[in-house]
Amino acid sequence: MAELANLATGDGAARTAARAKRPLVRRDMLVAALFVLPGLALAILFKLVPLVRTIWLSLQETRGFEDPSFAGLANYRTMLDDPAVHDSFRNALIAFATLPVWIVLPLVLAFLLFQKTPGWKFFRAAFFLPYMIAPIVVGIMFRQILAPDGPLNALLRTIGLAPLAIEWLNGPTSALLSLTAVALWSFFGLGVLTYLSGLSTVSEEVVEAAKLDGAGFWRLLFHIIMPLLKPVIGYWAVLCTSGILIWMFPLIYALTKGGPGTATVLPEFLVFTTTFQFLDRGLGAAIGMALFLFVALVSAFVVRRMYVEGAKPK
Amino acid sequence: MMKPTPSRTGGRAVRGMLAGLALASATALGGLTAQAQDVTTIRVLNWEPGGADYWKALVAEFEKQNPTIKVELETVPFDRYPEVQGPYITTKSGPDVMENNAGLELFDRRRAYAELPPEVLEAGKDLITYSGGCLNFDTTQPCYGLPFGYQGNVMYYNKKVLTEAGLDAANPPKTWDEMKIACDKVKAIGKTCVAIGLSGIFPAYWNFPEIARNYLTEDDMRAMLAGKMPWTDPKMVNILKGLASITEAGWTNSSAPSITMLPDGADIFQSGNAAFAGTIISDAVNWAAFGKILGDENLGAMRWPTIVADAPLADSFSGIESSVFGVTEWSDKKDAAFQFVKFMAGKENAELLSKVAGGISLNKNVDPSALPKSEALGQILEIIKKPTLHAGVLLSGQEADALARGWQEVALGRLTVEDWTARMQKALEQSPSKRQ
Repeated sequence: MAELANLATGDGAARTAARAKRPLVRRDMLVAALFVLPGLALAILFKLVPLVRTIWLSLQETRGFEDPSFAGLANYRTMLDDPAVHDSFRNALIAFATLPVWIVLPLVLAFLLFQKTPGWKFFRAAFFLPYMIAPIVVGIMFRQILAPDGPLNALLRTIGLAPLAIEWLNGPTSALLSLTAVALWSFFGLGVLTYLSGLSTVSEEVVEAAKLDGAGFWRLLFHIIMPLLKPVIGYWAVLCTSGILIWMFPLIYALTKGGPGTATVLPEFLVFTTTFQFLDRGLGAAIGMALFLFVALVSAFVVRRMYVEGAKPK
Repeated sequence: MMKPTPSRTGGRAVRGMLAGLALASATALGGLTAQAQDVTTIRVLNWEPGGADYWKALVAEFEKQNPTIKVELETVPFDRYPEVQGPYITTKSGPDVMENNAGLELFDRRRAYAELPPEVLEAGKDLITYSGGCLNFDTTQPCYGLPFGYQGNVMYYNKKVLTEAGLDAANPPKTWDEMKIACDKVKAIGKTCVAIGLSGIFPAYWNFPEIARNYLTEDDMRAMLAGKMPWTDPKMVNILKGLASITEAGWTNSSAPSITMLPDGADIFQSGNAAFAGTIISDAVNWAAFGKILGDENLGAMRWPTIVADAPLADSFSGIESSVFGVTEWSDKKDAAFQFVKFMAGKENAELLSKVAGGISLNKNVDPSALPKSEALGQILEIIKKPTLHAGVLLSGQEADALARGWQEVALGRLTVEDWTARMQKALEQSPSKRQ
């Protein structure tokens, strides 16, 4: 009986303790919720609501600025039939195909800086400088530089490379590649900086040991540095993917306006012109949704290939 | 009787000071509030037609005449205007007064504008025309804005370049055949014949109307406005062929497909590297701006050479009220905003336009002696005497875009006129404002 009484007393004590703990758990949850809620509210307000509104707008027929009417999937059908839309997504894929250059070029430069190549302090600042210039200014600048009679072609002619002095912004492929190259010029400084921060975690002994084993620059880069920097490379790849697909607008706007023809029209530019220049908000929203899905798929692919695999421990 | 202690005296003094301060602050704040209530600030979205000096003078004059209204300008470059204005209209918020090109551009956006009340429309009676601010160019229908200047297309020529090329600068080409001969000679001296930029909306506004006059009648243009003139119509196809012939003949700068006329194309002409440039009579890149750089004595203005000499509108001027200013539907300062619109159409502004910007006003009461002396201006004043509709402002956004992009590709030899026609037709069918 006494044991039973003790047990009862013990149970009672445990229950009391549990009761005492319960409010604490609730308080923890409350604090957690307080931390999460603002972010959640912002995400709902500025991400989910606009997304739902865009989906709804893409199902509307809009005549200029008149009130829209429900049109079902008509805008999506129009979009699928529109050659300009096809061109824009084809251009996006071509631009995306340059991703390896976006990844490797800053890495090579960062590794050169890391190795304290002569003039590395100057180049560290110089490489980052283009990133500090507003993209719209970069676009205006390169419109002059890449003109048929502009400084780049003048330089090429002067140094005896006249055959290379092409009309950079007039050709269907050269215009898109010029645009992408200008974007890369504007963006790569950030990549160099990102890689440098990653390289600062690489042990000098590892590099020295590899050098003693006879590893040259490229072997060091590809067999030692790249595996060690895989998570950083993954992060940079995701950043570049979004840069190529959804951050090119100011450059397109200032440099080519999407021309000649549709050679440099990317989907984001088409969303803007369709919505605000053609006043077809419904169709603009439909193209925007297609772009959203496209970027989501491509980003998922890049994250899977570059980031997740890169982050796996060996 | 107990004497007040020093501390109490001090406390009372402090309280007194605080009360006085509060009273003074309240009075001052009240005064400020009263002053703030008295002055209404209106925001005017514009692309600064006529230039910065003119707008500075315009605002100063308006504020002098209306001391209770303050004008805040939001100035956007012309070729970027639609992209800035679009979001304002979509979100139904922003400026109190907005500028738009007369015609379809304004009609497309009419939901963003308040209908002009009769007392404001009264100011329109002093203008040569204001129909471009009214629905379907009809002043009996609702009007959404009032114009102030006259606008339209001419071709400028550099006499120095023509002379250098062995041409008679006093007799510039009048027909397409003469133009061909002139361009061959200009090219022979290593210069561009016609400075042009095919990017943006300039081909639609500055080039298309000048070729269209060779093939269309005014009724055809009205049919275009109503969306009843298909691009497959032989007349429309001929216009595209006419445009294509300019670039196919090699008259233009090689950078044409990838540059805009303003500023790039105009720069080529201003730098003295081109013989001709097709631009406008007022606002930017007009006779005054070119004359200032090239020298008035080197500048001439002419009608675009005709392709079809006996076309009914071949010798006409594609004229249009320049831009119009209207009051936004969402503005809560409509009275002050309407006052500004009325001022824009008034005589005082007209005189400023002529004196400061060298513009050509629509107001009938302007003293002709107020106009600056210039040979090119004299030629323009002759050209504009025979006006017709401006076909460019009848194009929808889709058509204007397809026209420019198509022309770029035709110029580069990557698109046939037939395919360009098909694209134009598709653009027409996709134009919300022209859907039947």
